Amino acid sequence: MKWLPPAVAVLVAAAVPPFLGPGQLTVYVLLGLSAMAVVGLSLLMGYAGQVSLGQASFTAIGAYTAGLLAVHKFPPLLGLVAAPVAAALAAVVVGIPILRLRGHQLAFATLALQLILLSVLGDADWAGGAIGLQGLPYLSILGFELNQDRQYAYLVLLGVALTTLVASLLIRSRTGRGLRALATAPAAAEASGVPVGAYRLLVFAVSAAFAGLAGGIYAFYVGYLAPGSFPVLLSIEYVVMAVVGGLGSIAGALLGATLITLVVQALTTLATQPGMPGYAPSVLSYAVYAVLLIVIVLFVPRGIVPALRLRRRSP
Amino acid sequence: MAELVQYVLTGIGVGCAYALLGSGLVVIHRVTRVVNFAQGSFAVLAAFTVTTLLAAGLPHGVAEGLGVLLAGGAGLLTGLIATGKPGTTPQAGLIVTLGLGVFAYAVEILLWGDQPRSFPGLPGTVAGVQAHYLLIIGVTAVVLGATALLFARTDLGRALTATAEDPYAARIVGIDVPRMGLLAFAAGGALGGLAGVLVTPVQQVTFDADVALVVSGFAAAVLGNLTRPGLTLAGGLLLGVVQALVGGYWSTSYQTEVSLIFMLAVLIARAGLARTALEAA
Repeated sequence: MKWLPPAVAVLVAAAVPPFLGPGQLTVYVLLGLSAMAVVGLSLLMGYAGQVSLGQASFTAIGAYTAGLLAVHKFPPLLGLVAAPVAAALAAVVVGIPILRLRGHQLAFATLALQLILLSVLGDADWAGGAIGLQGLPYLSILGFELNQDRQYAYLVLLGVALTTLVASLLIRSRTGRGLRALATAPAAAEASGVPVGAYRLLVFAVSAAFAGLAGGIYAFYVGYLAPGSFPVLLSIEYVVMAVVGGLGSIAGALLGATLITLVVQALTTLATQPGMPGYAPSVLSYAVYAVLLIVIVLFVPRGIVPALRLRRRSP
Repeated sequence: MAELVQYVLTGIGVGCAYALLGSGLVVIHRVTRVVNFAQGSFAVLAAFTVTTLLAAGLPHGVAEGLGVLLAGGAGLLTGLIATGKPGTTPQAGLIVTLGLGVFAYAVEILLWGDQPRSFPGLPGTVAGVQAHYLLIIGVTAVVLGATALLFARTDLGRALTATAEDPYAARIVGIDVPRMGLLAFAAGGALGGLAGVLVTPVQQVTFDADVALVVSGFAAAVLGNLTRPGLTLAGGLLLGVVQALVGGYWSTSYQTEVSLIFMLAVLIARAGLARTALEAA
């Protein structure tokens, strides 16, 4: 009955959009997009044991790939397919040199790569510079145009289901067992013949592809891209979501993305009430990210989902 | 020729700020093994505090001193949260300091808003260079010299060094290791604050300037593998001068890339060397 909880989760998630208003549908779509990127990041941090502070660069690469293809009149569907591919390729290219780094060095290297990417995009005329790409078309599949929020909600749900499926197949495969060995004891894994470097690169590329797919959908949904849409803070937000839910756990990634998005959204709603100062939404969301991250790391170091599982096993 | 001298001097000035920030990272990392991601926030916090104190009518010098003191306090607090709970690993400590850096955003926007801020530095020019750059260089030389003396010549410095070399042995000879860690965090905070206070008159500071600052500080410190203060100073100066030359002769829009690519190159070369050494052993 292992398939039952995911099936129920998909059904519940699919039943929600018809009941949501326009603003709430936007939250639903953005939540799903974060979830896709966080599933990938959680795999990377959980199995490769590395902090990446540059996951949003792959969201940006996916988004710009889809956006540039759309601007140059390529079929939107091609853009959507190209987004994860481009992100994965970029991950392989930068991954070969930087995945030799460990711990804080990799954290800074991924952060540096994102800053370089943002700076390059900001200066690049072919990518619209700091103003960005505007007037992107809606996504259309075989002549059918997706021009309503609700349609994007289902597209995103499909994307989350797809990334979750790919991630769980990867974890359960022979490769996945190698990855688990790698996560707990890299030296032992290497000694027993696990190709450590190749596997690390594989997880990095897969996690980038997920973020790239999220970026591709984002481009068509919002219809506008700028370097400022993918700040370093977005990467940190992904890390917060992954750590809060539990690293190396797909359910944890989904829960973390949902929890953080909903809490921040609730606070933003509260902070935009009449009479609240203009800076209240950003102040509250920064404070929430920070406090959740610190409290979870110090008191629930494995994250919420793994902690709940442990509790259930030991009554 | 005059141009070159000008670029080099301004580069050394900015590089000194990177070196100060990087030295803060080194002090904290050596003693506690934590890489402090909130290091850039200390600089921003100190700089913003000085703008408020100056506006309140405090004289220069006093305002800057109080700003640095506050950054030292923020460092102590960061250390308490990131290393205070027994059993916190350095990796967890890094994520906690990342969280504290984001928390600083909330505090900074609440108190000072999200617009860039600055305050006047030392007025006048010397040989075409703003005198303030020379002040940065002088202050950095004195402070880093004093820090080196403190570590080499005082009991406290020896205790800190002992903790950095071998925490277990340090505890056996009666050194209070957690307290040394907190002291390192306070010193690191003050060094970061000093960097912020010195650099603000020549570069405006915003609440999210901490990312660029911490990356530059890390780039400087990584030359010495986050343990060698001398190489950190060299790294900072090199970075500052190369940035200034690129900005002067080519384009200011490539300055960030230059320092980042420099850092990546050092990191990757180091990882390659470490691997070769491991295989040779």
